[in-house]
Amino acid sequence: MTRFELLHRPGAPTLAARLVLPLGSRQDPGGAAGRQQLLAGVLTRGCGDLGAEAVADLVENRGAQLRCEAGDDLLVLALRCAGDDADQLLPLLLTMAEAPRLEGAQVERERHLNLQTLQRLQEDPFHRCHERLRRQLYGQGPYGHDPLGVASDLAAISADALSVAARDLPTGDAVLVLAGDPPPGLIEAITTRFAGWRAPSPPGRPLEPPAADPLKTVELDTEQAVVMVGFRTVPLSHPDLLPLRLLQVHLAVGMSSRLFQQLREERGLAYEIGVDLSARQEASPCLWYLSTGAPRLAEAIDALEAEWQRVLTLPLSDDELALARAKLRGQDCLSSETASQRADRLALLLGHGLPADHNERALARLEQLEPEDLRAAANRWLTQPMLSVCGPGRALARVRPLAPAPPR
Amino acid sequence: MADAPVVTLDLWFQAGSLCEGDAESGLAHFLEHMVFKGSDGLAPGEFDHRIESVGGFSNAATGYDEVNYHAVLPRDGLALACDLLPRLVLCPSLDAEEFELERQVVLEELAQSEDQPEELAFQRLLELACGAHGYGRAILGQRSRLRAHTPGAMEAFRHRHYRSDRSAVAVAGCFDPDEVLALLDRGPLGRLAPADATDRPHPGRLTLSPGEHRLRLPRLESARLLLLWACPPAAEADALTGHDLMATLLAEGRRSRLVQHLREELDLVESVDVEIHPLEEGSLAVLECITGVEQLPRLRQELDCLLNGLTEGIRQEELQRAHRLLRHGHTFGLEATSQVAHLLGQQTLQGRLAPLDAPLERLEGWTLPRLQALADLWRPERACCLEVLPA
Repeated sequence: MTRFELLHRPGAPTLAARLVLPLGSRQDPGGAAGRQQLLAGVLTRGCGDLGAEAVADLVENRGAQLRCEAGDDLLVLALRCAGDDADQLLPLLLTMAEAPRLEGAQVERERHLNLQTLQRLQEDPFHRCHERLRRQLYGQGPYGHDPLGVASDLAAISADALSVAARDLPTGDAVLVLAGDPPPGLIEAITTRFAGWRAPSPPGRPLEPPAADPLKTVELDTEQAVVMVGFRTVPLSHPDLLPLRLLQVHLAVGMSSRLFQQLREERGLAYEIGVDLSARQEASPCLWYLSTGAPRLAEAIDALEAEWQRVLTLPLSDDELALARAKLRGQDCLSSETASQRADRLALLLGHGLPADHNERALARLEQLEPEDLRAAANRWLTQPMLSVCGPGRALARVRPLAPAPPR
Repeated sequence: MADAPVVTLDLWFQAGSLCEGDAESGLAHFLEHMVFKGSDGLAPGEFDHRIESVGGFSNAATGYDEVNYHAVLPRDGLALACDLLPRLVLCPSLDAEEFELERQVVLEELAQSEDQPEELAFQRLLELACGAHGYGRAILGQRSRLRAHTPGAMEAFRHRHYRSDRSAVAVAGCFDPDEVLALLDRGPLGRLAPADATDRPHPGRLTLSPGEHRLRLPRLESARLLLLWACPPAAEADALTGHDLMATLLAEGRRSRLVQHLREELDLVESVDVEIHPLEEGSLAVLECITGVEQLPRLRQELDCLLNGLTEGIRQEELQRAHRLLRHGHTFGLEATSQVAHLLGQQTLQGRLAPLDAPLERLEGWTLPRLQALADLWRPERACCLEVLPA
């Protein structure tokens, strides 16, 4: 059953819409990395009675914004327009999924653009380091590559393969969220049509095991070296995601965070430093990263290693935990300020199969988590680090894998 | 903004990199870093700890003309921010030991940006186009100068430029204005003195140098074609609106002139983008094409042809489309308190506070004949052009 939600804001001048399908790049078949992103891009290049130019005219002449992207788990169609234009534009979202035209020339254009982007991204040392780490953590399978794909695979995806993949789009697992004040007649027309989507979506491809080698380097002629440490953690529905989220906030959210204070403020080791924990349907990646001048690479890796071991051995103080809780609550408030943010958030929760009140439930659970719970979660999920380092050869020569996790 | 669950406090100063003397390269931005390293009555890190303890966050940004410091918080946090942020910004300790550590951080920031070939190319374009003018100098500064800066020189810079008549405060959210004003007035903002007449910098208008240049960069994967034109200064808001329309008509969306021809029809670019950067001493319009090395010569021809073609006639539909895109873009861009505070703070600082819907009214005044008259200014020979190729 498709799921429709209206975040009603009477009198709102704009409408934000999100159509979310469980068809992210995880669905890319082996040897076809980049298929779902290619499909997503081509959806905006013609559907139903409208060719590529007609779709662009419809959207741009009304000053609206439309984007269509594959993430790791989900494929998202996002529209923002003036409320008065909703009648014209909202049905387009459904038509894009129901009847994409996938014209040969448009597929080739989109493929060509994605290939160019992949090549250009090689200029970015952070991207290079991240791509290497993805492969270490997830191999050639799901989550192992950027949704844009892998050049050799992307070049070989046939138009037929794309048509087959497009059949899965109008799925019963789709979620549509609107924020604004659309006319009741339009809602009825949209929901009736949307309710007709019944087909189950294909199951997600299983993940591959991580690589055996815990260290990979990429040689680049840069001033700085980029260091990334990655862990495979839990699916987003797992109860350990919340303690891990608290650890991530403690370590790297805001200038009061532990890594920022220890590595940047106390030692001047780096400008950019962070920890990402992007919630996924399976084994969410937790990435610790920084970039530092090549001569200080060894010092930076040692410092990161010490901070990682600290998380495994030393529980947070009560003050540190209280601060992390406050930041998490603040993030929740600050990230639901605008209608677009609220639509986005609800659509992603529902699209991931979580309940609409998932965040409220998580916040309610915050108070029950103790420092020891966080340490225990870290010892379950942050014990197998993968290290990826990108930088000049002379600095890379001395890099060694991180020491094993200390025994509990 | 009565329903807003979030509140933003934004402090602005006319103290961007344009205020720097020759020996002060990078000082405006370095000072913005040092502000967070402890102030009168606030230990290093204490500000962040207290703001983040109520679920807020803060940040700062240094531009050519101005610097701003802001805190975004759940709405109950406003009183705390009104107490702490002015103290942080106006009474920094500039402690010598913290100064040395932060110098390392700023040098790392510079190294990180220089490892991105695109950043290098853009900086080179500004140098070539703006020459000795401050807009041609990197905000992050020169490495040799950064190594030589002292806390004393920084304090002198701060003292000259962080002054009452060169500052502005904006608050957006749901709050009682009288209460907030009283709170701010009790703190160091209320005691801030105006600038000495001799300390007012006179940077002078930007004179752009058109020309043709080529740059080779290691580690570049795609070629870039960059064009930069001079536009009216930010104070001439109406004239700048015309250029905004032109930029939109040229490169916003698939049916814009440049995207349609260069990308959709000729497959010559990965992307083409035109952006107007409003600046006090003369705004900049920057066009960037990302392309393949072998496509560059043909791209250059086609682009020149399209830009020259503007003088041969802009269609009413094109103008209407650009109108709508800008109008809705403006509306979409004022949903968050941080966006509103940013706009109001900057306008107040530069002495041209206007109603939030003023941009919409200005748009209405741009008819086809007026826009057509701008076309000549967008000829390629008026631009500073840089071709960037892999080394």
